[in-house]
Amino acid sequence: MVDQNAHPPSVGTSFQRADLRDKVLGIAKYTADLSLPDMLHARVLRSPHPHANILSIDVQPALNMVGVYDVLTPFNVGGGKVAPDVPILDTKVRFVGDEIAVIAAVNVYEADAAIDLIKVSYEVLPFSTNMDTSMKKGNPKIHSQGNVVNGGPIVEARGNVEEGFDQADYIVEDSFTTPDHHPASLEPRAALASWDGTRLTMWKPSRGIHADKAILASALDVDPNNITVIGPVMGGGYGSKDETRTSVLAALLSMRTGRPVKLELSREEEFLAGRRRHSTFTKIKMGVKKDGTVTAVHVKTIMDTGAYLSSGPGVVRRAGQGALYLYRCPNVKYEGQIVYTNTPTAGSYRALGAPQGHFALESLSDQVADKLNIDPLKFRLMNHVGPEGQPGERTTPKNQIIDTQPVEGGIPFSSNELRQCLILGADAIGWERRDQIQTPTGSIRRGIGMSMFIYRGGPGGQSNAKMSLDEDGFFTLNVGFMDVGEGSSTVVLQMAADTLGVLPQMVRLNSGNTDNTPQSPMTAGSTLTFSAGQAAVRAANQLAQIVIESASEVIGLTDTEGLYITPEGVCSTSGDEVNFTDLVKKSGLLKTTVSVTPGSKDYIVNSFGAHFAEIEVDIETGYVKVIKYVAAHDSGKIINPRMAESQVRGGISQMMGFTFLEDMEIDDLSGVTLNASFLEHKSPTIMEYPEIEVIFADSIDPVGPFGAKSLGETPCIAPAPTIANALYHATGVRLNHLPFTPDNVLTALRKLR
Amino acid sequence: MKPFTFYKPTELEGASKLLNGVGRGHFLAGGTDLMTEMKQGVIEPELLISASDIKDMFGIVWNNSGLTIGSMVTLDEIASDTNIGSRIKSLAEAAISIATPQIRNIATLGGNLCQRPRCWYYRNVRFNCLKKGGEKCFAIGGSNKYNAILGGADSCYIVHPSDSATVLVALKAKVDIFRNFQRVTIPIRDFFIGPEVAVTRENILEPGDILISVQIPKESMDGKNVFLKAKERQSMDFAIASVAAMVKMENGLITGVGIAAGGVAPTPWHLTSTEQKLIGYCVEDIDVQAISAEAFADAKILSQNGYKLQLVQTYLERALNLVLR
Repeated sequence: MVDQNAHPPSVGTSFQRADLRDKVLGIAKYTADLSLPDMLHARVLRSPHPHANILSIDVQPALNMVGVYDVLTPFNVGGGKVAPDVPILDTKVRFVGDEIAVIAAVNVYEADAAIDLIKVSYEVLPFSTNMDTSMKKGNPKIHSQGNVVNGGPIVEARGNVEEGFDQADYIVEDSFTTPDHHPASLEPRAALASWDGTRLTMWKPSRGIHADKAILASALDVDPNNITVIGPVMGGGYGSKDETRTSVLAALLSMRTGRPVKLELSREEEFLAGRRRHSTFTKIKMGVKKDGTVTAVHVKTIMDTGAYLSSGPGVVRRAGQGALYLYRCPNVKYEGQIVYTNTPTAGSYRALGAPQGHFALESLSDQVADKLNIDPLKFRLMNHVGPEGQPGERTTPKNQIIDTQPVEGGIPFSSNELRQCLILGADAIGWERRDQIQTPTGSIRRGIGMSMFIYRGGPGGQSNAKMSLDEDGFFTLNVGFMDVGEGSSTVVLQMAADTLGVLPQMVRLNSGNTDNTPQSPMTAGSTLTFSAGQAAVRAANQLAQIVIESASEVIGLTDTEGLYITPEGVCSTSGDEVNFTDLVKKSGLLKTTVSVTPGSKDYIVNSFGAHFAEIEVDIETGYVKVIKYVAAHDSGKIINPRMAESQVRGGISQMMGFTFLEDMEIDDLSGVTLNASFLEHKSPTIMEYPEIEVIFADSIDPVGPFGAKSLGETPCIAPAPTIANALYHATGVRLNHLPFTPDNVLTALRKLR
Repeated sequence: MKPFTFYKPTELEGASKLLNGVGRGHFLAGGTDLMTEMKQGVIEPELLISASDIKDMFGIVWNNSGLTIGSMVTLDEIASDTNIGSRIKSLAEAAISIATPQIRNIATLGGNLCQRPRCWYYRNVRFNCLKKGGEKCFAIGGSNKYNAILGGADSCYIVHPSDSATVLVALKAKVDIFRNFQRVTIPIRDFFIGPEVAVTRENILEPGDILISVQIPKESMDGKNVFLKAKERQSMDFAIASVAAMVKMENGLITGVGIAAGGVAPTPWHLTSTEQKLIGYCVEDIDVQAISAEAFADAKILSQNGYKLQLVQTYLERALNLVLR
């Protein structure tokens, strides 16, 4: 019915992203740019101690200041909770920087001065800045349940890993660590709250306005129907902005003072009160036969979640998926444990645990290849999981949607072009000249390395969309998800427009306000293009049907035969036509609502890729230069090539920081974070950005909308092991501890001199 | 940041009086370091005295004895000056290696020489370290990968953060200082002082003193000069180790030499004994590797900064090979 050939499709073209112009011109309004009449400014008193009980707080001198309107302390905020282990404010502080009290004043200077006047009496407790100390018996509990979350690891297994090792000719094992890695978003957290006596309106950087609304309602004991959450444009989130204490505190101050309140964190506060990537310790063991067959993989990972749990369970699970599923193997086991420490909280950060897990897995895989005297690429070509999936029996009931992180075997992938990625990437980097480029003498050593990955392919939670043809002849797609900067609002709009058969310029996307959008899950797990895309496509299909039927009535036809949608309106093969504006005038607003549960009951939907790098390392200075980087991805059909390519380039450059530079430096003697600044937490600059070639495998996923799969997080998974393997090829020395700063590289290379 | 009073004097005398007057006064040049310290609460000046209208502190002037650079000349002006680029390459290289283009547009030479250390215990208000008048150096038993391997004198283990200082010490530069309403000129190596002299500051400036300009003698431009800097990040980063070297040769004989190391000590580290092993010798007789290995014999390594010794030795070797070639 819809004539797909009426005009060139938008899907597959680099349609300009919706928010580009305003951001480039500097007129896009971020949360901190907003202000309201009579607005108060809030500042937070933070703990100087890594671990202490708060005995009493004297706020009177602060309240006596003329410009001060209110102060929140653990003793006056009620018993609400922001998260299961995070009260609104607590009488116990768990890291240097933990929130103690909040001042609302006429401006930030008065608020800062008032903060200095608050007197707190502490019972200082012994503390732990690392997992070893936390796990020692008898050490003080950071939370009442103990320092190991849930008392032990999660365990996931397929087959029998002991039997698998018994069958092995060689067993290779090693251990790896990864650092605390901060997203260091350009925009620090901010919240603007306005309470009018019955209704709360909250502006905040958000990756899930509907989820935020539920948390605000529960923490503040306010009817969710009386809460509006608005998400302005996001100044960088990468998953980390799911923290809600900041907004709960602003809301409470507004409710108590009756005035709008804005709380904006400083750069240092963003580092402390934000969310970092979990540092990890991983022990990994792989068994292989002489012919190169993998017989068993066993991984144990321990993660430092800092003071609070945040999204830790999701992160620790995701860290294990590579070990469970990337190599074809009947016997695998993953144990993932989360430990509290008195340090800033870890949480969601682009690709969650996958980069940490793949760093260990893909470094070890190279070692196994070395042991077998097989080329590392060949070892992967022999053993990577294929389209048929893993050996074993399906245990998920036939009528259930398959998890995107399965453990069981016996289920095929909807699409799996990992092999294509390996071959295309190897060709682009020039893998065949690998042995010739090595420089065994001199200070500059050259090498080529690679690694591969597997990740969730896009099915997420139940996704809703409303779509309408409006009075002005334009369409509106109403969705409750947040574009956190990755461009989902643009690609979803492209898919909806093509499904309807109209130009994308004809479709408005409405999102970012809980009042007029349908429920939607958080922007997480690289799910939006796939899941929101499925909802949008279904809504557009239904609306197209409605539009055609209405047009048929308006034109006066007996049926819809021969009618099709054009960019201007509806035409029939016999020459009748009605434009969209006239159609709406005559038939009234046309609209539809859909709800989809994304995913497949028959297939695992996963994305794949392989990365390659050629590097030079100066063994006398520890400086590593990336000469060329190749990223080959299977993300199904690419909806918007320019944005997709940018997504890959951005992810790789972000992980150049994880690989070479970034770590949160926490003083062991005081628990103080020493480098909470852009200068000292060394995020990469354009100077660290290598030449990158991005390759998208020829892949159409039969389940995904327009054949698409996930891409948002996947570029972040392979960079660290790719560089580690290139370093090994260049020097013969394996580096197991990130980041590869000059001091770490020089220490590791000491054996060369 | 706390409120402050802002002054913009036009004469050195007036500025000096304000600096030495009532209230905690700080001199403001480009402000790229001062503002950071104020925002972080490390210092809380009651008055800021801007140097932006004091004419004596501006200008790049060449004359028979060499070059004079006003302390208010920006790093970008130095980096993009073609004469400096061709005749004093090491200074241009140091300038371009500092911070970012945006910062170099306003940061000044004087400010670069007088900036405060980057040691994170000094920069963090939660530590009252020796440099801030406190009781102990937290770096000694703490996170010290960026701290000094030389000159810490069992007290303060900052490294001097200025790249231009390292180069100017190697170039045997002099500084003009306004002191007691007079202009005095001293060798730049005497301008910087280590913790054994005074732990709460890094140079000889007393309240009321003003750094007016820097003079680079003509003889230092006659030979080859280089600046090599190791940093973790290739932009927006300080030296983890650096070496500036200047060598003048006549008929294969070394007749002039200046060498300094940066990022390794509380002052730009003047390698006088290394200079002695070069001056008056024939180039062919120089064993660069041996000299470089001996240059830092008195280094004292802390728990995490041992790599700096290897780095600075390597950079010295490379710098000497460049200037002696």
